Amino acid sequence: MSQLFLPAKQSLRKTRWLPVFAVALTVTAHPAPLTVTVLDRDGDPVPDVAVYVGAQSGIAKPGPERKVMDQQHGRFVPHFLVVATGDEVHFPNSDPIAHHVYSFSRPNDFMLPLYKGNAHPPVTFEHAGVVTVGCNIHDRMLGFILVVDSAVYGKTNADGKVTLDPGDVSRVDVSIWSPRIRPKNETLTQTVDAGGVASLTFELTGRLRPSRDHDDGGLTWSDY
Amino acid sequence: MVRLLNYCLFAATIAPLMAIAQDDAPGRQQFTAGVELGYLHTSGYDSWTGGSASMGKLRHDEGDGGITLSRAFFDYTSLLTDTIDAHVAVELYDDDFGESADFTEAYVEWRPLPRSANRYRLKVGAFYPRISLENTEPGWSSPYTLNSSAINTWVAEELRTFGAELGVTRRPRSLAGAHQFGLHVAAFYGSDPAGTLIAWKGWSLHDRQTRFGDDVPLPTLPQLQPGGLFEGNDPYVEPFVEVDDRPGYYVSGEWRYTDRVLVRAMHYDNRADPTVVENGQYGWTTIFDHVGAQFELPADFGLIAQWMSGSTVMGGVINGAHVVDVEYESSFLLLTKTFERHRLSLRYDRFDVTQNDQTVEDNNPENGRAWTIGYRYHHSDRIGIAAEWLAVRSHRCARGYAGFDPDVREEQIQLSLLLRFAN
Repeated sequence: MSQLFLPAKQSLRKTRWLPVFAVALTVTAHPAPLTVTVLDRDGDPVPDVAVYVGAQSGIAKPGPERKVMDQQHGRFVPHFLVVATGDEVHFPNSDPIAHHVYSFSRPNDFMLPLYKGNAHPPVTFEHAGVVTVGCNIHDRMLGFILVVDSAVYGKTNADGKVTLDPGDVSRVDVSIWSPRIRPKNETLTQTVDAGGVASLTFELTGRLRPSRDHDDGGLTWSDY
Repeated sequence: MVRLLNYCLFAATIAPLMAIAQDDAPGRQQFTAGVELGYLHTSGYDSWTGGSASMGKLRHDEGDGGITLSRAFFDYTSLLTDTIDAHVAVELYDDDFGESADFTEAYVEWRPLPRSANRYRLKVGAFYPRISLENTEPGWSSPYTLNSSAINTWVAEELRTFGAELGVTRRPRSLAGAHQFGLHVAAFYGSDPAGTLIAWKGWSLHDRQTRFGDDVPLPTLPQLQPGGLFEGNDPYVEPFVEVDDRPGYYVSGEWRYTDRVLVRAMHYDNRADPTVVENGQYGWTTIFDHVGAQFELPADFGLIAQWMSGSTVMGGVINGAHVVDVEYESSFLLLTKTFERHRLSLRYDRFDVTQNDQTVEDNNPENGRAWTIGYRYHHSDRIGIAAEWLAVRSHRCARGYAGFDPDVREEQIQLSLLLRFAN
């Protein structure tokens, strides 16, 4: 946690019941870009959280981008991907064994018949929402794709931070999402004055779900 | 020489299959072949596997010491279609229970593509019931120890589902996939004599799985000899046969919390008619409950615990109890830790059998404790090394029939080379 954010964090602790007020306290004098920080209930940074700016930003999407969710050692890599509506997602299988990738998350549901390597064309996600991705052979494999209807988005780094350009508008919604966050009682969207805010902090109040993005620990976890 | 020939034959049989699988571009053929051999030193009583009256708890005894080929196996899955696969597992042993190589599992599984958070699975064939938390690798191998716990050794000895298992697992979206709930129901034929070994031999700790055609030797108890109470019983058990045409069932529930917690529970009943005897094999009504759990702990530690409690009865009712009527219980705790290519595991087993029947000439109670310390070095995907120390202390009254001390302490040291060939 850097010194810069310490006072803001302390203020947030005192005013947890009024997050909008807390956000106002984090405002510093610098103009855009906007740095968003996500902290857990202990004040520690939370990496790998999607942060995206609402469509009010007026920033146009650059056109469909190419994104990749690979399969390595029986896992989706990355296990959590953020894409914009219209983006193409490739699902290569780098494992020596076949996988059968699917999602039942309507209306973004899809299925790629059993394959190895780069056998299938990419999947285009046209609808905003969360896409839960699985393998029909290996029940244990689980991935998430967040499809956002926005041109401005990113994921927090190891310091729990991401810097975005919110656009040149007066007010804009900034939202966060992660499969680790339990949405109940959390503030997942904040509306900010984009022109005058340089940093914004989301302080989560609930316990996070454990990260799936870890190496095998002491045990083996088969589907059997 | 025979041993060498067996292994050569085994290799010659699977080599073409392996070659096909290696060239398999779509990845529809998956196999693992394994060989485990090494140095063995055992002290204690004669092994039960020799059909002895001393009823040692281990697979090997002093006569087997030195360089030993413990097992070779071949585990093969063919993805027949996008949603149907076939799986077979073959084990090769150097003993005379049956053919040198024979099947331990053979089944077809249908996995329809999920249309919701529910996933359905249908297994048809012969396969292990969902009990062991140790034997998670191809060939029902354990990544933790060479010799299974008492519970899972018995599962390997006498339990196999010859039937169908329907499973549904649900990963609620509202919980972002963190929790998974499962329910599995199976109906099976066969497994009527299952329970024979737990009653007449008791619990053991070893790495031998009964194959489909195996005749597993029984201890040379006086009641099983000509003129004895159970002279009609073969001197061996074929645990998977059907004697009464009554199907058995099990119901299993499971909860997983990401890759941190797994809890499973089962109720099993083979529904065998205890009064039926066919071709030298009796029906044993075997009913048990099982609970198992595993937890991922900090610093690459892991903890596994299983508990099983049940009963088995055989024969008609005399004085309010079946001729053979025993209850059995066992549990173990296994603590394991990985560090880089190394794994260290420590297991404590306890087990007992209590007798409810009044049949004085058939004395089956026992109790025991075992400690296992296992070390693994994972050199590569093809080569590993295992070192294991196992000590088991047991009290079994029936050893007295042949003049042996009922209290026995056995100890085994094993150094094994683990070879794996997989595509």
